[in-house]
Amino acid sequence: MKHLSNFGKAVAAGAFAVAMSTAAMAADGLNFPNLTYRTGPFASTGTPIMNGQRDYMLMLNERDGGIGGMPIDYIECETGYNTNKGVECYEKTKGKALVTQPWSTGITLQVMPRTNVDRIPILAPGYGFSPMSDGDTFAWAFNPPVSYWDGAYMILDYIAGGDMSSLKGKKIVLLHLDHPFGKEPIPLLEKLAEIYDFRLVPVPVGLKEMQNQSAQWLQIRRERPDNVVMWGWGAMNAGAITEAVKTRYPMENFIGVWWSGSDADLQNVGAKAKGYKSVSFNAPGNFPVLEDIRKYVVSKGNSKIKSEAEMDTIFYQRGIIFSMILAEAAKTAQDRFGENNINAEQLRWGLENLDITASRLEELGMKDMIPPLKMTCDNHTGHTGAWMLEWNGEEFVQASDLLTPNRELIKPLELEKAADYAKNNAPWPDRGDLACN
Amino acid sequence: MFYRTSGQFKTTYESDQALFPIKQDMVLLVVILAVMYVIFPMFASEFTYKALLVPVLIYSLASLGLNILTGYAGQLSLGTAGFMGVGAYACYKITTIFPEVNIIIALFLSGFFSAAVGVAFGLPSLRIKGFYLAIATLASQFFLVWLFEKWAWLYNYNSSGAIEVRTMDIFGLVVTGPNASPMVQYYFVLGIVSVVTLAVINLTRGRYGRTWKAVRDMDIAAELVGINLMRAKLSAFAVSSYIVGIAGALMVFFWKGAAEPNLFDIPMSFQIVFIAIIGGLGSVMGNFLGAILILALPVVLSLLPELLGLSIGSATMEHVNVMVVGSLIIMFLIVEPHGLARFWALIREKLIIWPFPH
Repeated sequence: MKHLSNFGKAVAAGAFAVAMSTAAMAADGLNFPNLTYRTGPFASTGTPIMNGQRDYMLMLNERDGGIGGMPIDYIECETGYNTNKGVECYEKTKGKALVTQPWSTGITLQVMPRTNVDRIPILAPGYGFSPMSDGDTFAWAFNPPVSYWDGAYMILDYIAGGDMSSLKGKKIVLLHLDHPFGKEPIPLLEKLAEIYDFRLVPVPVGLKEMQNQSAQWLQIRRERPDNVVMWGWGAMNAGAITEAVKTRYPMENFIGVWWSGSDADLQNVGAKAKGYKSVSFNAPGNFPVLEDIRKYVVSKGNSKIKSEAEMDTIFYQRGIIFSMILAEAAKTAQDRFGENNINAEQLRWGLENLDITASRLEELGMKDMIPPLKMTCDNHTGHTGAWMLEWNGEEFVQASDLLTPNRELIKPLELEKAADYAKNNAPWPDRGDLACN
Repeated sequence: MFYRTSGQFKTTYESDQALFPIKQDMVLLVVILAVMYVIFPMFASEFTYKALLVPVLIYSLASLGLNILTGYAGQLSLGTAGFMGVGAYACYKITTIFPEVNIIIALFLSGFFSAAVGVAFGLPSLRIKGFYLAIATLASQFFLVWLFEKWAWLYNYNSSGAIEVRTMDIFGLVVTGPNASPMVQYYFVLGIVSVVTLAVINLTRGRYGRTWKAVRDMDIAAELVGINLMRAKLSAFAVSSYIVGIAGALMVFFWKGAAEPNLFDIPMSFQIVFIAIIGGLGSVMGNFLGAILILALPVVLSLLPELLGLSIGSATMEHVNVMVVGSLIIMFLIVEPHGLARFWALIREKLIIWPFPH
């Protein structure tokens, strides 16, 4: 630290000026930042979701003037899935933010302890970790509409055809990203393997081997499993599907989690991947809400989508759903507190007491797009259930009735792991003065 | 004029060998320290601490560690992030197995673990040199990240697979965890970085520094004049990994608060190598300049459009950022291949003789 040059000082001084002024510049309205990743290694899967999220919020602004008359101040902060950038974005946006959407398990883990102190709800729809469902431990965290453990159960339920005892003696491979996200279902699957007496063979795929999985698929060929369940993300999905096609693995026995069900991953192999399945809490289709987005956002050239065909993809529509959940929570809070300019704590209440009924979904133009969602104090996930989607060679189509997780079986595990988390991060604050309803 | 050295006579050996033989250097250092210790905390927001000051300090420290190995002892290493990981995981295990241990002690102890691992992976340096050694350290990088993922004991069998930091205090002052004030954490990191930097400056001026430089410049000649190559190289690995390990522990405990294994993957190793090269190999100050350029500049740049009232999408800005910082790196390397530290040295030389060119 002998000499910090003048240049360095100038930079630092500039940084101050900038840091000071950003706080004062945010516009009025409901401030919903989103920590996006439109760049970096996972951009191809992130971009459609972020486009869906953004377009729904812009549509609400154009069509209804926001939520309850308050315009939405929708902000994107780019992380590129990089956890360092995640800290930066969280600190940058938290001043006025009503919510934080970290969009990566790594960033979620870093941000979660801070949200208790900063008192900002954290919305991690479809990701985060399963114990977040325990609202008494994670008062500020929400991961609707289903957790990974729910997903793992529902996939097995589908394989078993509704009768879990028929899994006895089967061999199931879990092809997973070797990363906290990919390892997430293992505790539950191990427990289920014990109860229902099937064999679980985890096959990890390292972050560096995502695109070249020949070794893993050689192992799968040797194992001759009845089913392959995939917990993949980004480039891993396309890699696995191409390799499965190459090794002639029967596609109908190959099932992915919802993040392994992007249209873009399957379009390359097209008809050869016919029969591949992915569990998803949103069903594809042509919903009235899409017409509104087309009319108010896309036709005006305000959307970032490349072509209108993107609006038919599962991931874009999933983005719409995530924004809808947030918007409905804001509305719930506005109705409860009788004021439109809600704060972060009120939005937290709104998320906790969110009840999106089937008739409300119809009003929103999303009938049967997702199952009705209801969250409560001790249920921050909703556990709505999901559908199995099947790739017909050109697109995903719905292939099952609503599957639902066996909550009696999963919940004890959630409580146990939530308690572990609280112990590791001691002293972890409990619900404290936050009212339940 | 400002840097006039005439009239500063050295009358004793002590004054000739002082840390700062020129008075102006001393003044400059005092000014910088005053800015870091007094002025910054008066104005900085939480964002400034978390996104600018603390990361710059931590990366500077890691780069300082690497610089001992690569810049002073001439041993190329691509395994820095792995050694940082060893420090972080060691600190995590120490603080969970012995919860009553003071975090400062845990921090300095965890450095010994990374030093031991560093020495083990430094053994091949006795036989291989240059790019071949870089490949050997690359192996350590891959192996360590693999180990962090597979060895569940390291992260206490957490279901998240990550290490998480609980709240810890020093004599009642909360320094880690979500309740720690960013200012306290900044002071803590700044204090440790100051102490280690001072130690490194003295170490590199002394006997060890000179043996390392001799080995770097020509190892056969160094051996011929009686330097024990094994001791010189392994001590460089040990000291380097020790500092890098502390930097890793600081990163997780005082900045991020949680870390997944792949944080310590190769991109971070490269980032630190870039900081060391752009800052200047074989210099202490260069690490700080390099970290400012690589880490702080992108953050400041990404804030610019909003400040100027332009509305540029966040993702677009990220692309612009990569381009600007990339071209700046190339520009600096063309203008001064020996790094920013050398750049400053030239300016200083010019200042000393200014306003007369000779």
